[in-house]
Amino acid sequence: MEAEEDVALSGPPTVHGQDTLPRLFRHVVSQRGDAVAMREKDLGVWRAVTWRDYGERARRVGFGLVALGLRPRDVVSILAENGPEWLYADLGTMSVGGVTNGIYTTDAPRQVEYIVNDSGTRFFFAGDEEQLDKILEVRARCPGLVKIVVFDVEGLHGFTDPQVMSFDDLLDLGARYEHEHPGAWDPLVEIARPDDLAILVYTSGTTGPPKGAMLSHRNIIFQLGFTDYLTPPREGDQQLSFLPLSHVAERTFTVFYPLSTGSTVNFAESIDTVPDNIREVAPAVFFAVPRIWEKFYSGVALRMREATRAGRLAYGWALGVGMRMAECRIQGRRPPVALRVLYRLADLVALDNVKRSMGLHRVRGAATGAAPIAPELIKWYMALGIDMREVYGQTENCGLATAMPADRIKLGTVGVARPGTQIRLSPQGEILLKGPHVFLGYYKNPERTAQTVIDGWLHTGDVGRMDAEGFVTITDRMKDIIITAGGKNVTPSEIENQLKFSPFISDAVVIGDQRKYLSCLVMIDHETVAQFAQEKNVPFTNFASLCRAKEVQDLIWGEIERVNKQLARVETIKKFRLIEQLLTAEDEELTPTMKLKRTFVNRKYKDVIDGMYVEM
Amino acid sequence: MSDALLQVSNLETYYGPIMAIRGVSFEVPRGAIVTILGANGAGKTTVLKTVSGVMDPQKGTVTFDGREIQGLDPDRVARLGLRHVPEGREIFPLLTVAENLRMGAFTRKDADGVTRDLDMVYGYFPVLKARAQQRAGSLSGGEQQMLAISRALMARPTMMLLDEPSLGLAPRLVRDIFEIIARINREHGVTVLLVEQNANMALHIADYGYVLEVGRIVMEDTCARLLEKDDIKEFYLGMKEQSVRGTRRWKRKKTWR
Repeated sequence: MEAEEDVALSGPPTVHGQDTLPRLFRHVVSQRGDAVAMREKDLGVWRAVTWRDYGERARRVGFGLVALGLRPRDVVSILAENGPEWLYADLGTMSVGGVTNGIYTTDAPRQVEYIVNDSGTRFFFAGDEEQLDKILEVRARCPGLVKIVVFDVEGLHGFTDPQVMSFDDLLDLGARYEHEHPGAWDPLVEIARPDDLAILVYTSGTTGPPKGAMLSHRNIIFQLGFTDYLTPPREGDQQLSFLPLSHVAERTFTVFYPLSTGSTVNFAESIDTVPDNIREVAPAVFFAVPRIWEKFYSGVALRMREATRAGRLAYGWALGVGMRMAECRIQGRRPPVALRVLYRLADLVALDNVKRSMGLHRVRGAATGAAPIAPELIKWYMALGIDMREVYGQTENCGLATAMPADRIKLGTVGVARPGTQIRLSPQGEILLKGPHVFLGYYKNPERTAQTVIDGWLHTGDVGRMDAEGFVTITDRMKDIIITAGGKNVTPSEIENQLKFSPFISDAVVIGDQRKYLSCLVMIDHETVAQFAQEKNVPFTNFASLCRAKEVQDLIWGEIERVNKQLARVETIKKFRLIEQLLTAEDEELTPTMKLKRTFVNRKYKDVIDGMYVEM
Repeated sequence: MSDALLQVSNLETYYGPIMAIRGVSFEVPRGAIVTILGANGAGKTTVLKTVSGVMDPQKGTVTFDGREIQGLDPDRVARLGLRHVPEGREIFPLLTVAENLRMGAFTRKDADGVTRDLDMVYGYFPVLKARAQQRAGSLSGGEQQMLAISRALMARPTMMLLDEPSLGLAPRLVRDIFEIIARINREHGVTVLLVEQNANMALHIADYGYVLEVGRIVMEDTCARLLEKDDIKEFYLGMKEQSVRGTRRWKRKKTWR
C-alpha cells in the first residue's frame, strides 16, 4: 500500500502516457483513426462516428469557442440528452482550456438559472428547442452568459436571435478559425495542466441548493488507470449510453472510459427504448444504477409469470443450478465438475435465453453503483452467469472508491478500496477517503469544501464498516440514520433495499425518526402491479385507483411482511402508504436516477406520514 | 356505483397476438353521458366493439343492466337494448333513408310505436324526412351520421355506443350532432357512451370522462375537472402555454394528474 502511494505521488498519473484529458484525446484520435468511436441511431439506422470524425468535430467546437472569445477556465454548460454532440462539446471545450459542466435535462428553468449563475457559465449548449426555451426564459437574469449554441435546430426555422447560434454554424466558425490560424491547436491542447479544473459536476443536493464539485484532470486520469478491473478491454467492445451525462458515473463511463479502452459508445434513442437498444447493441461492458438492474429483473419475473408451465419449471431449475454456481463463486470454491456440467445445460436450456431477452448475453463486465442495491439481486445476475460487481464512490472522488474484486466476492459489501485509495473510518463510523481522485473542492464554496475535505481526507457522509480484509459495507447516509422515539438506531436504506427487491416495489422510504415505530412510503412499480391487478381481476382505472385497490394494498403489505421477517422486532415496519401519483424524472420527489429523495418526500408527504402515527 | 347501467372490468382484447386493450375498467351510470377520449390507436373503438359483442374479450367482464354480456353475439347484445353506432356510419347505401330507419327497428313488433319513433327521429333531423325516399348512399357525410344515429334510436335502446360521431364532419354539423345527442339523452333518458377524438365537444356534453392511452386508462374524472387538467388542455384541447419565443413545437411529458 505504502509503496503504491509513493508511486502515485511521484508524478501525475497517466493513461497511454498522457496526463490530461486534452492530451489523451489528441493521442487516441491520432492512434485510432478510422476505428468507430460511437454510434447514434438516425431514422432507424445506426450511424457510426470514427475517432477521426470525433477529433475533428471536437477541434472545430474548440476553435469555434475560441473564436467566440472563450478564455482558459471559462465554464461551458451543456443541457442536452446524450449524443455525439454532447461529447464533441465536452472534449472540444476541455481541449482549449475550458471547463465543462453538464446540466440535467430534467431540470426546470429556475434550476438551470441557478447553476448557470453559480458556475459563471459563459457559453451554453442547448440540446434542442425544449432545452433552449429553458435558458431563453431565464437568460435576462444570467449576466455572464455570452452565447447559446443549439445542437438540434428542428422547429427553430425562422427563429433568429443575436445570442443564439446553431451547432453547425459553430463548427463552420471553428473551421474558418482553424484555416486562419494554422498550428493553433497544439498550444491550446497544452493549456490544461494535470491539476487544473477539468469539469464541474453539480450534485443534486437533497438539502440546500446544488453544489458544483470540481474535478481535475488528475482526478479523472487517475480513475482511467483502473478501467481493467471490470474486464480487460477487447477490440470491438460495445457499450450503451443512456443515463444522464450530467451524472459523474455516466460521464466517466461514456466520455472518459472509452478514451482509455477504445470501446464503442452507442447512444440509446431515448430512455423508453433502452431495453430494445440493449438487445441491438449487446454490450460487452455495462454500467447501470440499481434502478435499471431492478427493472430488468422485474421484467424477467413478469415474463416468467406469463410463461408456460414447462418454461417456468425450466427457468426455476436452471436458476437453482445458477445459484449453486454463484454460491461457489462467493465462497471462493471451484465448483465441482458435476455442477459445472449441469450449469452448461442450465445455460443452454434457460439462462442464455434470459440473458438474450435482456440483451446481456455478451456482457463480460457489469457494474452497479450510485445507489444501494439488494445483495439478492446481484446474486440473481451472478446465477445467470453475469459477472456483476458493485462499486462505490461519489461525485467528490470522481465516482469510484471501492469495487468488488474479481477473485473474492462478499455480497452486501461494496468491495475493497481501489488501488491507490486509502480508506478509514471516523470515530462516528463515517467513511473517509484519500487518494489522487479526491476532488479540488466545491466551486466558489470554500466553507463547504473545508467541511468536506479535512487534511486530504474526503468525508463521504456515508456511515459504514470495514472488515479485516478491507471489505467495506455502507450502512447509510449519515444524515439519514433514524433514531426512533425509543432511542434505537435504524439504518433505513438496508430495509429499503430489501423492499425494492420486490418486483412490485419501485422505491420506498422508511420513516421513523423520533417516532414510536417505523413506517414507510412505497412507490409501486406501475407495470408489474397493473399486471398483478389484471391477473387477479381487480378493476382499476388510473394510477391512484390502482394504488387504492384493496388487493394491491394487501400485496404490498405482504411484501413488507416478507421483509419484516428478516428484521429485528424494533425495526419492523408497522404501517405503510402508497404514493398515489405516478412520478417522473421531472418531479422533485425523484433524483435524476429515479430514487426518492428522502428529505423532500418527508416534507411533501408530511400529512400522509402523520396519518400513519395517529393514536388509535 | 350501484346504479351503473354498464360496468366493464379488467377487459383484455387482442387482435391476433397484439393486445389492444390491456385491462380496462370503467362504468357508465344509468342516464349519463360518459366519454372515452384517446388518440388514434389508443383502443377506443376496440372497447366499444368488445362491449357490443363484435369482438370477444380474452379476459374481463362486461355487465349490462345487471347481466354479463361479454362474448355474446352482437345481435343478442343489440336486442338487450345496447346499440352500437360504429365509426364510419355503416349505413345501407342502396336502401332508402326510410328503409334504413326501418332496419333499425327490425327487432320491434309494435308497428304504431315504430311509426311514432319515425316521427320523433324526423323531428330531430328534419333533413332525413326531406330525403326519406333517397338512397342513403347519396347522402352527405353529416346526413349519413344523422341516419346512423337515428337508425340506432329506432330500436328504442336503453344505451347507445357512439364511435366518433364527429369524424369527417364540418364544425357546424359537429355542433348540431352533439346537441342532438345531448337532447336524446335528456328527453329519452338514453344512456350514452361516447368515444371521441374531438375532446372539446365530448367534454362539454358528457358528465364523466376517461382517457385511454395505449390500451389502458390513465385518467378519469368529471368532465368539468378534466377540462381543467394541464395534460387534457395540451394534448386533447390543443391549448399550449406560449414559450418565450412565442412558438413552441416540443410537447411536455404527459403525467396524467
